[in-house]
Amino acid sequence: MSIASTSQLAVPAVVAFLLGGAVAAALAAEHTIHQKGKVFSAAELAIKKGDMVTFLNDDNITHNVLSITPGNDFNLGAIGPGHSTPVTFTKVAVVDIICAIHPSMKMQVKVTD
Amino acid sequence: MLSSVTTAHKLARSEQIMMLADRTRGVATAPGWSGFVVVLCAMIIAMAVISTRSDANVIVGATRTIELPRQADQSIDQLRAAYRRPKVIPFPKSNPYTLEKAQLGKILYFDTRLSAANVLSCASCHSPAYGWGDGQPRGVGHGMRVLGRRSPTIINAAFGLIFMWDGRAATLEQQALGPIQADVEMNLPLEDLLARLKAIPEYSPLFKAAFAEQEITAPQIANAIATYERTVVSARAPFDAWIEGDEKAISDTAKRGFVTFNTKGNCANCHSGWNFTDDSFHDIGLPSEDVGRGKFLTSVVKMQYAFKTPGLREIARRGPYMHDGTVSTLDAVVEHYDKGGIDRPSRSELMKPLRLTTQEKSDLVAFLNTLTSTLVPTAVPVLPR
Repeated sequence: MSIASTSQLAVPAVVAFLLGGAVAAALAAEHTIHQKGKVFSAAELAIKKGDMVTFLNDDNITHNVLSITPGNDFNLGAIGPGHSTPVTFTKVAVVDIICAIHPSMKMQVKVTD
Repeated sequence: MLSSVTTAHKLARSEQIMMLADRTRGVATAPGWSGFVVVLCAMIIAMAVISTRSDANVIVGATRTIELPRQADQSIDQLRAAYRRPKVIPFPKSNPYTLEKAQLGKILYFDTRLSAANVLSCASCHSPAYGWGDGQPRGVGHGMRVLGRRSPTIINAAFGLIFMWDGRAATLEQQALGPIQADVEMNLPLEDLLARLKAIPEYSPLFKAAFAEQEITAPQIANAIATYERTVVSARAPFDAWIEGDEKAISDTAKRGFVTFNTKGNCANCHSGWNFTDDSFHDIGLPSEDVGRGKFLTSVVKMQYAFKTPGLREIARRGPYMHDGTVSTLDAVVEHYDKGGIDRPSRSELMKPLRLTTQEKSDLVAFLNTLTSTLVPTAVPVLPR
């Protein structure tokens, strides 16, 4: 039995790699959270592991989206109007999120399997 | 990066890859099982890599710019409507208003026996004589020690969303017991406070009337003081009369100042609504070493040197100004904002040199003066013995 040469395997291997990646990414859902009027557009958001939440600043002032749940920390920094930032949640968790500048802006992301 | 691509786009891409795979299958002549194993391993590795790209539970992608629809400017009448005084004071469900609670709360608020040295009460630093502050640049505590920050007013605290200059108290109830126990302020531990109140016979019926419980407890003290504080609200000011339609209530200078406040002055972005505060935290570029809320959010750049926006009701009678009382007059306050403050990474995006004219500056101060109401003098209660 002969062993296949590297060049004969390379193309299908690369294709399979891309296919696997596309399949993984295509299974994830996307959600958008608006910040217009100094309020998050949803107080609670239920998502699946691997989903992406886009934080969109469609307000007329700067916001600083921040997670206050240890282990699921993130800080988007000061983001001005007219910008959006995607955040992918990869683990099952309940994540409390505020705007650091306007802490009355609060929401919770519930990540499940 | 795949993560920033929309769902529709991703599905199209996987379709393209499927077609490419079909075509290449014809070209590759890898024999039997070894080729299949390589392909399967590559797919598994890819899915694992894409799903958990790092050890982080949360992955932040790149920020993109998006086009927002242009918002129409508000007319002056629309602006005025946004400043109407509320008709009702809100009380939380967890601590609803009763007359007995408010009366007990007022007595506790003025009782200097709530401090170790028997000379300081809540009213010492939050005094009705000084717009419910103390008229000092910074508060003065136990042993006449000067504290780090100015005593905030309690006017309209009922409408507040978060308390203290650095926002470390979520509710008035949480705030109330803080200064009592703080060693630099009233310096009285809770067990000593409770022992003192229990030893004053005339307090017992007051607590029973307010709480109908057998024993005096710390939560009752906090609830009573908070209930009283919520009754302290600014009265109707000339500004309110103008908002309600009386065109003679304020001068033309003040009306121009109101427009500047909402436009070129950029003031209403933080000093918003009828109480003139967004209850949010901003670094306004003051030359102070106090990092404010930054102490609790050390990794958040915008929280360094950030303090809570105070309200502006009764402001003309509540100097000196800022968290450390370093700005003495309203003219000096306007000057500070006109210059823009220290340009540093933590400074609010809303702070910048304004290039106000002399007229615009004096208009602003004239407007701020219309926020003074005629507060009814507060009678100091007779304390229990």
